[in-house]
Amino acid sequence: MVRFKHRYLLCEVVSDDPRCRLSLEDRALGGLIRDTIARVHGTFGAASCSIGFAVRYLNAYTGIVLLRCRKEFYQLVCSALPFITYLENKGHRYPCFLNTLHVGGTIRTCQKFLIRYNRRQLLILLQNCTDEGEREAIQKSVTKSCLLEERSDEEELSDSGGEEAAEAME
Amino acid sequence: MWSALDKMPAPATTYERIVYRNPSEHHYMKVCLEFQDHGVGLNVAQFKQLLISALKDLFGEVAAALPLDVLTYEEKTLSAILRICSSGLVKLWSSLTLLGSYKGKKCAFRVIQVSPFLLALSGNSRELVLD
Repeated sequence: MVRFKHRYLLCEVVSDDPRCRLSLEDRALGGLIRDTIARVHGTFGAASCSIGFAVRYLNAYTGIVLLRCRKEFYQLVCSALPFITYLENKGHRYPCFLNTLHVGGTIRTCQKFLIRYNRRQLLILLQNCTDEGEREAIQKSVTKSCLLEERSDEEELSDSGGEEAAEAME
Repeated sequence: MWSALDKMPAPATTYERIVYRNPSEHHYMKVCLEFQDHGVGLNVAQFKQLLISALKDLFGEVAAALPLDVLTYEEKTLSAILRICSSGLVKLWSSLTLLGSYKGKKCAFRVIQVSPFLLALSGNSRELVLD
């Protein structure tokens, strides 16, 4: 059928500086990615990628970014992401890089991946954490997410899994 | 006496099929640079700089890093033979087409011949003079 197909790129902003993630803004990040594509792929890349380009979701606490681009040109966007080396906010430069976690055709598949990824990250955090109070907090979130997972497995046929998924997304 | 030989399995023959769609990895282009006003000269380094900047404008850093070679260059006629890898031919040709000026002076690239084989550039049937 005739519709514009997109690719959704799920990326994570990784940085040494903890202030870098808090200064994430969707418009600033979108502008930075467009400039980087223009630098790496020239006028052709800038024009072809900017038509369907948008920053769909941004989480400043976990540093997760969801980008949308047209299916025909998603490889240009993907190949330009490693060239982003810093984030600029109010004159401060924070060195960082974008780690691509998942490429999906719809927001729903990216969301499903993100839920599974966050669960795995919680378990890794549980292993690595040192403070007792933090350990209890993480254990509580892990048990809560396990309960939600059991509930969503039972109700998989019905469409209410989307609501639990929205709750489980941090 | 032959029973041992009969029990040996026959050796399996393996076939390998290699298909070349384009036997040449490089494409060769014969180009000529024309300026609107005469009296503009470029040496070979400036010529290559012009090509790289044309690629960089249209297709970015990735295309500017393509392995492009100027095989011959004539400063009097401003014509050259370029070699580019086959995957970059379309990018090079389109950036030559869209190049409009050099240091503020209007110019244009005329592509005379393109071939995957260098030998084909030695003879051009378009320049053939029939008596």
